[in-house]
Amino acid sequence: VLRLIGRRLLLMIPTLILASLLIFALAEVLPGDVGRSILGPYATQEQVDLLNQKLGADAPLYERYLTWAGNFVTGDWGDSLLLEVPVMPTVMEALANSLLLAGFALVLIVPTSIVVGVFAGLRRDTALDRTITVSTLSMTVIPEFVSGVVLLYVFAVWLKWLPVSAMPPEGSSFIDRLYYLILPAIPLMFLELGYIARMARVGTVQVMGMPYIRTAVLKGVPQRRVIFGHMLRNAMVPTVTVIGSQVGWLIGGLVVIEWLFVYPGIGQLMVQAAQTHDIPLLEASVLMVAVIYMISNLIADIVVALLSPRIRMGG
Amino acid sequence: MTNGEFRREYAYHLVDEVKKGRMTRRQMLVRASVFGLSVTAAGQLLAACGGSDEEPAGEASGLPEPVMGGTIKLIGPAPITDPDPVTIYDQGGIVLVYQFLEYLIDLDNNNGLKPKLAESWTPSETGDVWTFNLRQGVTFNDGSPFEAEDVVTSIERVLDPANGSGALSQLSGVLSPGGVKAVDQYTVEFTLDKPYVDFPYMVSSGNYNTAILNRKYKGDIVDNPVGTGPFLLKEYKSKQKAVFVKNPTYWGKDAQGRQLPYLDGMEYTMVEDNSAQNLQLQSGAVDVQPQTIFQGAQALFGDPNLRVDIYPSSGIREVAFNMNVDPWKDNKPLRQAVAYCLDREAINKALYDGRSLLGYDTFWEPTVFPGSPPSTARAQDYDMAKQLLSDAGYPDGIDITLTHAKYLENPQYAQLIQEQCKPAGINVKLEQLSYEAYYAGDDADYYGTTPWLNAPMTITEWGSRPAPGIFAAAMLLPDAVWSSSHWNNPEWVSLFDQYQSTADEASRSDVAAKLSSIQQDDTPILIAFYITQLRTQKKNVFGIQGPGSFYCDLSQAFMTA
Repeated sequence: VLRLIGRRLLLMIPTLILASLLIFALAEVLPGDVGRSILGPYATQEQVDLLNQKLGADAPLYERYLTWAGNFVTGDWGDSLLLEVPVMPTVMEALANSLLLAGFALVLIVPTSIVVGVFAGLRRDTALDRTITVSTLSMTVIPEFVSGVVLLYVFAVWLKWLPVSAMPPEGSSFIDRLYYLILPAIPLMFLELGYIARMARVGTVQVMGMPYIRTAVLKGVPQRRVIFGHMLRNAMVPTVTVIGSQVGWLIGGLVVIEWLFVYPGIGQLMVQAAQTHDIPLLEASVLMVAVIYMISNLIADIVVALLSPRIRMGG
Repeated sequence: MTNGEFRREYAYHLVDEVKKGRMTRRQMLVRASVFGLSVTAAGQLLAACGGSDEEPAGEASGLPEPVMGGTIKLIGPAPITDPDPVTIYDQGGIVLVYQFLEYLIDLDNNNGLKPKLAESWTPSETGDVWTFNLRQGVTFNDGSPFEAEDVVTSIERVLDPANGSGALSQLSGVLSPGGVKAVDQYTVEFTLDKPYVDFPYMVSSGNYNTAILNRKYKGDIVDNPVGTGPFLLKEYKSKQKAVFVKNPTYWGKDAQGRQLPYLDGMEYTMVEDNSAQNLQLQSGAVDVQPQTIFQGAQALFGDPNLRVDIYPSSGIREVAFNMNVDPWKDNKPLRQAVAYCLDREAINKALYDGRSLLGYDTFWEPTVFPGSPPSTARAQDYDMAKQLLSDAGYPDGIDITLTHAKYLENPQYAQLIQEQCKPAGINVKLEQLSYEAYYAGDDADYYGTTPWLNAPMTITEWGSRPAPGIFAAAMLLPDAVWSSSHWNNPEWVSLFDQYQSTADEASRSDVAAKLSSIQQDDTPILIAFYITQLRTQKKNVFGIQGPGSFYCDLSQAFMTA
């Protein structure tokens, strides 16, 4: 397992370099430039050129990349060109917000979907199984901006049970923060529930058909012990992999939810930075999300390795 | 003749115009304000005209007694960058700057001018030198006094191209660097490049980059928010919120002599998404949305807790025919044919629920700018359109391309144009670009490459302007940087020069009528409507002022229990 971690951590370095290069190149081909974003459509081109020159945005691409990369690795992430604030605290604050929302959503999603999926798998092909499968899958296909607006309308505007924004007033306690996150977490649960529950169901069905489970059942092992002692550990392998692959999205891909619930997360930050060609901010945010992606996949792989000796041996 | 004498002379002239029926009373008030006549003086003029005082539009009557204190919560988009008054150009920036900074002159609800940091202003007889007398006893919130030197540095700052101010594009050709001079501590003199009777608009809040800053300003508005406005910027969090508290030493008093502002503070929450803003309003989490977009606002109209106020504004969606290229070049009938395809009322209904004002392809539109010469309505007329199309050399129809950004209601407007042109045989192909792509251009030659100035036919959104001449100067003069039509009609240009320098209202009105009719006939651009402005607030919120787009004056705002 240690070798696996070491090798994967090493692999992250070229991946990150490649990602950072790509971002620079893409920002270059996107229409518009940072000077125009700052000064707006009514400034003259001479004024925009002057500003770009001042910001160093007119230097050749490779030169800008090398300067930026050199500073970045030494911990100098620079200032946002547009917001004129240091990049590192801005990105870290947004990332912390996103991690909290993703973490909270996962705490709701993972146990619920596993319970639902395993339950359906154990009652395979019954009316209950079909009801669970159909209803969770239907939830998955509702886009988050639809379920989000409906939930907001019902619980925040109409019933006024929950706050309409995901950010509590300053100085609120941790519990308060979670209370504000309930509403935005539900659309995420809708999206993920069907997906993860299906994996849990498939795993359960597969493992329950295995000879060793049949043996255990025939031996007269009580059902509870069959499920918790033998089945779950093996049935969870595909589920954990899927969860690992979803964590990155839950952190960096929640643009719509963040927008709708007015939550200053990293998804919104990335979109804004991309729209305005704010490269220092964009690079730092995307790389942080990439790191989270890779780490969450790595953790999922480690968990899988621990669950399943075969994969562990195979490295 | 001294400036004062000239102003008196002009006042008599205005009274004469009204008496002869050549000018409405409202138009007279607007013109009187441009020439720096005080409200009292204007009232005396009205009395001289005979009859009773006309009640200006707005919510002035029937307001409850003001309530002191409380913090009002606003919601709107974040400024694109820091709210630096020198470079702001978007709604977020304009709303925020307006709270803690002030202009020499403010706009009223009729697009007339009212004194703010300037108490009065007068042109020289030739109209190219303007003298402004400043308000005395005003201090910035860092304790330094407001004086002529602050005005000189503020205006010279936007005139310096290195500072990147959008105001420069409005002031170029009117006022050059070095043209602002402090005559004494409280008198400033502007020496213009040419006579310009609408000059006061250029240094009013209508030209929002001309906010008056302290002479020591270094471009660090967020760290050092020094201004003379009713509120002080206490906290600013990029893309999240801005918090303001009452300026305890604000110079302003209400009509009863009470200290302004009434409120203790203001919080502005920055939310980009319009539906998210609307939900916050409906949930009761915020009190005011300074700008409400028609699309998606139906729920707000019906909400019993909210009041949606409608304000006149002159914002337009300019549909320009690029006359540098075919098929629009030298083809007036073709341009007119498109104009006769439009069912302007149906467009107004579809885009704005019928609440905007109709336009007929001219800036001199009396319903928008009171006192403009009457315009000729252009109803949908397919027979006429087909005839014109045939005159234009396309009896069997024509394929044209309309380029627009996926921004605001522009895509819907483009589709309506497409549908309405089809029956006449004009097939419109839509080219939709992202907002960024529409305004993007090659660094080496921005003006020669950017779609919005170079595509054959375009839709471009323009915010409110207080006077027709200001619109026209920005997009219809051949040397206007923002001319998407590249129109060059020598007769119109020379008339426009005359219009800008004519103080005599009768001859000015004659010139305006000619300008208007040439513009409509030649049809360089289509103006199908002038957008009215919506502002949504809770029913207990009163006293917000602010004509045109984006302005939100909270100095006399208050909330009842």
